[in-house]
Amino acid sequence: MSEIEPFVGIDLGTTNSVVGTVIDGVPRVIASRTGQILTPSVVAVSKNGKRLVGNIAKRQAITNAENTVFAAKRLIGRRWGSKEMEDARKVLPYQLVPGPEGHDVRVVLGGRTFAIPEVSAMVLAELKADAEAFFGRRVAKAVITVPAYFNDGQRQATKDAGRIAGFEVLRIINEPTSAALAYGFGKQMEKKVVVFDLGGGTFDISVLDIGKSVYDVVAVGGDTYLGGEDFDRRIMDWLTFSFAKENQGIDLRQDTMALQRLRDASEKAKIELSSAQSAAIHLPFLAAAGEGKAALHLAKQLTREKLEELTKDLVDRCIQVTERTLRDAGIRPAQVGEVLLVGGMTRMPRVQQAVKQFFAREPSRGVHPEEVVALGAAIQAHALLYPQKDREVLLLDVTPQNLGIMVVGGYFATIIPKNTTVPTSQTHVFTTVQDQQTSVRIAVLQGESEKAIENELLGEFILDGIRPAKRGEVEIEIAFDISADGIVGVSARDVDTGQRQSITVTATSGLTENELRRILDENLDELLERKQSGELERLRERSLAMIKEIESLVPQVQEAFSRSRFGKDALQKAESVVARARAAIASQDLQQITAMEEQLDRTVQLFKGLAGGAPFPGGEA
Amino acid sequence: MPVDQGFIFNPADLSEDVDLDVERRREILFTHAHLADWTHWQVLGLPWNATAEQAREAYREKVKIFHPDRYPAKRLGSFRARLEQVFRRLTEARDVLANETSRAAYASRTAPPDEFARAEARRLDDEGRTRERRARLARTNPIVARIGRVNELLQRGKQRMADGQFSQALNDFSTALAIDPALAEAKALAQEARKRTSADKAKELWDNAHAAEAVNNLELAQEMAAAAAEADPTSPRYPIFAARMALKRGALETARSQAEAAVRIAPGHGPAHEVLGETLAEQGDKGGAKRELERALELDPGLERARERLKRLRWSFLG
Repeated sequence: MSEIEPFVGIDLGTTNSVVGTVIDGVPRVIASRTGQILTPSVVAVSKNGKRLVGNIAKRQAITNAENTVFAAKRLIGRRWGSKEMEDARKVLPYQLVPGPEGHDVRVVLGGRTFAIPEVSAMVLAELKADAEAFFGRRVAKAVITVPAYFNDGQRQATKDAGRIAGFEVLRIINEPTSAALAYGFGKQMEKKVVVFDLGGGTFDISVLDIGKSVYDVVAVGGDTYLGGEDFDRRIMDWLTFSFAKENQGIDLRQDTMALQRLRDASEKAKIELSSAQSAAIHLPFLAAAGEGKAALHLAKQLTREKLEELTKDLVDRCIQVTERTLRDAGIRPAQVGEVLLVGGMTRMPRVQQAVKQFFAREPSRGVHPEEVVALGAAIQAHALLYPQKDREVLLLDVTPQNLGIMVVGGYFATIIPKNTTVPTSQTHVFTTVQDQQTSVRIAVLQGESEKAIENELLGEFILDGIRPAKRGEVEIEIAFDISADGIVGVSARDVDTGQRQSITVTATSGLTENELRRILDENLDELLERKQSGELERLRERSLAMIKEIESLVPQVQEAFSRSRFGKDALQKAESVVARARAAIASQDLQQITAMEEQLDRTVQLFKGLAGGAPFPGGEA
Repeated sequence: MPVDQGFIFNPADLSEDVDLDVERRREILFTHAHLADWTHWQVLGLPWNATAEQAREAYREKVKIFHPDRYPAKRLGSFRARLEQVFRRLTEARDVLANETSRAAYASRTAPPDEFARAEARRLDDEGRTRERRARLARTNPIVARIGRVNELLQRGKQRMADGQFSQALNDFSTALAIDPALAEAKALAQEARKRTSADKAKELWDNAHAAEAVNNLELAQEMAAAAAEADPTSPRYPIFAARMALKRGALETARSQAEAAVRIAPGHGPAHEVLGETLAEQGDKGGAKRELERALELDPGLERARERLKRLRWSFLG
């Protein structure tokens, strides 16, 4: 291969996103076209209807709060009406509505509704454009990271977002694993590593056993609703409360613009307190005091001590989750060889101190907490695309939560326990409970509670077409598998007849395939389409030439096979390849033709070899 | 590579159009075929009772071979599913063996019989009850039971011979012999079964060799025929075929040794001399070639190839 096709690794964060790649064996981040490493995960539609993404969207958030979407990651893959979604709704200034099927969450932006993966896709598309500007050509292949604790629905939705943005998503990998990969890349090490990842919206903890370039995840834990934004909110609450106390009960939360200014000021103060002991918060003209009175200003001094007091329980929660995860992994803090701090929130001195105290060791300072995840994703993309001789890498990740089904009594029966290495699969046999029963309804869930209702519902499956028989006579084997992406698949078959049963997904928290296709169609860039048609013409001609060549070789190949009892199926195979190639050409589908071109090429090579006078038993050399 | 000699590869798998070399395919096919009957130790390539640390190490080495991610941008065809299944089994083995508690339980369950006896004896020794040990061993292993077991094995073995399941029959006879090594009947039966098993295996390899030739993989065809010759050293047709394949590929050394082997097995068989003559001719030994080809025609005047080749040799003498 003379030139390597460009690829990227993307850390799609709650507050900020980063894109990276590997060049000449060295991982590096790609700066945006305006020179920034971090791209805010913010999307907006301006007053004049323009779509804005990243820094520019973040800057106008104060004046256009209703039409600015941030922290979309908190909603991705969540079901409408779930506790997590309701919690998020209370604090987000933009409007949420249910999707057409009533299962997923949509946002209203500039008078239109968007599915959450569409919003995330806008951020991804921005990063894609940055990467394309950097490489000077099209970039399609990507590895995208998600918090280790993300469930199936959230992973699937993230993958959908990648597709909508025009990426071919090679793999969804976990953020802590990705960080460990970037940390260990190019080093020879044999040790247990703990990654403590406290980002903008999520907290993740992973325990890895690294050795011989194999990154074997032993256990993961986390909380998808614990991150930097929760720290910000504590400051905001403190500010609004004291403001109300000082100004006759004026509630700033009623004013979206004031709220947005408070949010920005809180985040700024928090960051400042990582290096300073005290931060001043000044927000002039924050609220109107009423008819004829001067506008009200906010001026407060926040000390590091006060911040630590306000957020003590959040830090404690992190340590509790860490403790539990280490127990799951079966190791003691003293056995840990390295602790990596990842995510902007780990810059807070109190967090570092808590980690140091728990592990009784100084955490590593060898990685850049904000870039490391994107770099690891880029390394994994590289490993998934090109064979590495000297710097081989193999990631073995695990499932974050128990996967199971709802059984009689509303209980949850675990089928694949958490911390199982993926890819994995497990089968479970069901029997019918009624005479002449022809369908079964199966609710697949993910979570850690014994009660089904307290876990996340991934989907409901209706299995029908079961052959009618007495109850208990039909046994249906359901196979659950989890891919390397952490995405769940379900299939079923009749144990006695071996016949596969159809499974219909009736409720998911994501987009349906049809909807995804519609969005993809809408997003199709006109320019891209034109470029493709030139490519299409070239491919068409090449394929037709190969078909002609194959057909001209058929008599010779038949002759060659005539004296042998072998090879008959080679001709049949070739016939079907030609037929499918013709169909692909007729459909004008670039992808299909590309796929067929390869098969045609192989057939041509085979036929040439066979017709080229290869001797057969009994023949003369 | 731990490929055992008796394993028969399906030529269709070995010639499937995927981006894997033959060595790797064999390793995958071989391991995949044994997933059901290997213990967790065997899957990881470890001896019984290896330590948890060894299991972890072996797992890391094995996953580098059997994880589909290790074949970036390669076409894997039917091998992808095999790799995934092997990977899952490796993980299962690691999960059991890397944990001290489950490892110990598994070790006692899968202990080889002699290890079992040794461990048992050691335990009893420690307790200092040697007499009781003897009594117990006698009880658990009475001579009467042994005779019954031998008869049972011989019966089943004979039945299997009659059904054409020669390798299973051989297994039974060998087991019977292991219990009672002096049994003449078992010895004779085992020999017969061994012969039939090899002939069976050779026949299968021979078919595979032809199949490989049909898809024009001469090297594989040669290897298969050579393996057949090894399995059944009584028939000249296997080395002859191997020699032919080698000759076509231009591997003259191999062709010669196979042809000579064929002549050794059946000195009165025309085609054996014919292929040796052709090989010698290719190697430039005209005198030797002439001698062998004439002998071949003497034994079997219908050998067209020998006649043709001899004619060409004579012409070159004249010229």
